[in-house]
Amino acid sequence: MESEIITGQLTSIFRNVFNDETICLNNEITAGDIGSWDSLSHMLMITEVENVFSIKFKLREINKLKNVGTLIELIESKLT
Amino acid sequence: MIFTSFNFLIFFPGVILVYYLLPEKYRPGFLLLASYYFYINITPVYALLLAGITVSTYAFTILIDKTKAEKKRKLFLIINIIITLLPLFFFKYYNFVNNGVFNLLQSAGIRWPLPEISFFLPIGISFYTFMALGYSIDVYNEEIKAEKNFGVVALFLSFFPILLSGPIERATNMFPQFKGRLVFSYKKAVRGLQLMLWGYFMKLVVANRIAILVSNIFDNADLKSGGSLFMAVLLYPVQVYGDLGGYSLIAIGSANVMGIDIIPNFKRPFFATSMSEFWRRWHISLISWLTDYIYTPLSFQLRKYKIWGIVIALMLTFLISGIWHGAALTFIFWGVLQGTFLSIEAITNKKKKSFVKKHNLDKKKWYIFISCFFTYLLFAFSEIFCGPINSMHKAFFVIRKIFTNFGGPLYYYNPSMIIFILFGISLLFFVEWRMEYYKGAFSFLSNKSWVVRTLLYALLIIIILLIGVFDGGQFIYFQF
Repeated sequence: MESEIITGQLTSIFRNVFNDETICLNNEITAGDIGSWDSLSHMLMITEVENVFSIKFKLREINKLKNVGTLIELIESKLT
Repeated sequence: MIFTSFNFLIFFPGVILVYYLLPEKYRPGFLLLASYYFYINITPVYALLLAGITVSTYAFTILIDKTKAEKKRKLFLIINIIITLLPLFFFKYYNFVNNGVFNLLQSAGIRWPLPEISFFLPIGISFYTFMALGYSIDVYNEEIKAEKNFGVVALFLSFFPILLSGPIERATNMFPQFKGRLVFSYKKAVRGLQLMLWGYFMKLVVANRIAILVSNIFDNADLKSGGSLFMAVLLYPVQVYGDLGGYSLIAIGSANVMGIDIIPNFKRPFFATSMSEFWRRWHISLISWLTDYIYTPLSFQLRKYKIWGIVIALMLTFLISGIWHGAALTFIFWGVLQGTFLSIEAITNKKKKSFVKKHNLDKKKWYIFISCFFTYLLFAFSEIFCGPINSMHKAFFVIRKIFTNFGGPLYYYNPSMIIFILFGISLLFFVEWRMEYYKGAFSFLSNKSWVVRTLLYALLIIIILLIGVFDGGQFIYFQF
């Protein structure tokens, strides 16, 4: 799957989980850029990503995520 | 040796002087020696415990790093976690568990008493234990390579500014600094001294003075009116903030003077508008440790249950936080309360946010004020179970009295006491309010004019000397 398609699907997940229709994702965005992205909503977002893309993450992979870009790379690696 | 002792006033400048006189390559070694001297000065024998945990952590992290087989790596991690936790369990929880088991067996008609232990809790053990565990888990998770230089690991676990009460540091932040250049930075040193000065104000003027009034009220709760008890309940969070927040600033500041950065521990907590925001501002180093090593793995394992998985993970995390604070039912109840507050917020979060957004409430001053006050009330209420009162029975007695017998004279010790307390709190809140809402426009202690700066330093020192309580005993978090 191309990264633009992943970004598009991820944007709709983020808007839904973080309850903010104005979110526009790019690779550099981190938790600090989205007000409601905290440790509580983070795992809800991860679960939603797993369900939508039908993939499973490992905890070690989650811990290494630095920004949206690394999340997109991880999803890509799981889909190929 | 504690930060408010006369010994520290001699020790710290002496350490700084020798530290900067020494060639750069000897500075980490000297800091290690100074740190062990600092610790031995309190209870010599417990330095062996710290050294033991250091050796075990060093050896097992090297083993974890060298081992390829996942099962073996996990085994080494588990062995090290057990070795690291054993002293904490022995000194902190043995009597609690022993009494619990004894009472349980007795209720079943079996009498099997085990001897009670009357050792003092080794000061700082809860803090360096968590730092050692965090480092081991980081090596296991491949977030950091195991450090081969034993001195670096030993200095990390014993670094004197943070040894007794944190902030609970991470190897990922400290190792590069200890292994890098430890050079004098005028800017950092000045900032460090400013933080220390403000830390002493928070501890000596705010915390120690409130402590006299609050402990007097809680110690004689049966003789005091409900109104007086409510006042003590409201004052206690500020006392803890002045105490641990002040300690943290002195710790961070003294490390800054040596050119070392330490993670912040507080971020104006009483301006939080919800409990979840409060816990992102209060005792940050402990909460981020619990988030990374307890909450995240738990919520990850339970993620298929969605919001309920998060609720269970939250409850367990704060239960562990309560147990970390102390071996008593009051602390456990405190943990359950915090978990419940946060769970309710997590469940209602989406609806609340929509409502706030729809009515543009987050821009309205009255809404922000009420939210801050309500958050403060919730925390103040929960703190009844976290320190000032040592039994569930007495804690509920205090709550009952507040609701059923509020009237009667308000106990304030003496007029000067209440005036000094109000002055200290007002100054603290004024500075924090300016920093919270006027970022960049308020340069407290960092004014561009050196005349203003010098006057402010002098004024603060005079306030500390005149109003500060110097025989206020230890810091609250030394008992944890």
